[in-house]
Amino acid sequence: MTERADAAAALARAASLRAEVHRTSRWYMRYLLVYGVAAFVTTLLVGMLPGAAGVGVAMGLWAAVIGGLSVYAARQRVSRRGFARRHGGIIGVWAALYGVVLAVGATEYPGDLAWWLPGAALVALPALAGAYPEARR
Amino acid sequence: MSHPRHQLDEVIHSPVRFAIAALLAAAEKAEFGYVRDTVEITDSALSKQVATLEKAGYVKVTKGYVGKRPRTWLSLTRAGRTAFDVHCAALRAIADTSRTPETA
Repeated sequence: MTERADAAAALARAASLRAEVHRTSRWYMRYLLVYGVAAFVTTLLVGMLPGAAGVGVAMGLWAAVIGGLSVYAARQRVSRRGFARRHGGIIGVWAALYGVVLAVGATEYPGDLAWWLPGAALVALPALAGAYPEARR
Repeated sequence: MSHPRHQLDEVIHSPVRFAIAALLAAAEKAEFGYVRDTVEITDSALSKQVATLEKAGYVKVTKGYVGKRPRTWLSLTRAGRTAFDVHCAALRAIADTSRTPETA
C-alpha cells in the first residue's frame, strides 16, 4: 500500500471506532428518557397529592429511579467524549427549574393542576431534550 | 522537513496504539474490556500498548470497583488528545497529497 492509502485507511479506522463509541454510548439516551419521565411524574405527585403523603410517595419513587439509574450508568463500559460536562449541565438546569417550580407552586398554587402540569413538563424538559441529540448520534 | 509525515507521532503511529487512541479520543473514558473487545486484541497485548501510551503521558489508567467487580478505566490525557489530533491532521494531509511524485 502507498503512504496515501495507509493514511486514508488509518483515518477510516478512526472514524469507524468513533462511530462504535457513539453507538455504545447511546445508553445515555435511555438514561435521560427515564430521568425525564421520572422528573415529570414526581413533580406532578408533589404538587397534586396533598401534604406529606405526596412528598413521601414522590421522594420514594425518585430515590428508587435515581438509584436504579445510578447502577445502570455505573455498569456501562464507555461514555462518549464530553459526557461529564453535558450531564452536569442537564442536571444543573433540571435542578434550577425544579427549584423554581416547587418553590412557586408550593406557596402560590398548591394542588392547582394548571400550574403543576406545565411545571412538571418544564422540569422534565432538560432530560428529554437532552435525549434527542443522543438518539441522533 | 515540510512533508506532513514528519508530523506523525511515533508513539501513536503503531496501528494498534493508533486504534486505542482513536477509540479513547471519542470517549470520556472506556473500560479496559471494552477497548480490548473493540480493538480486537488480547488482554496482555492491550496492557503492553497501554503501558507504552501511559509512559508517553497520553493515557490515564484508573482502577475502581463496580459492586465487587474490579474495573480498569482508560482515558486520553490532554497531551494524548493533542498528540492524536496532530497525528490525524498529518494523516489527512498525507491522504490529501496530490499524486505527483514526491521529492525525498
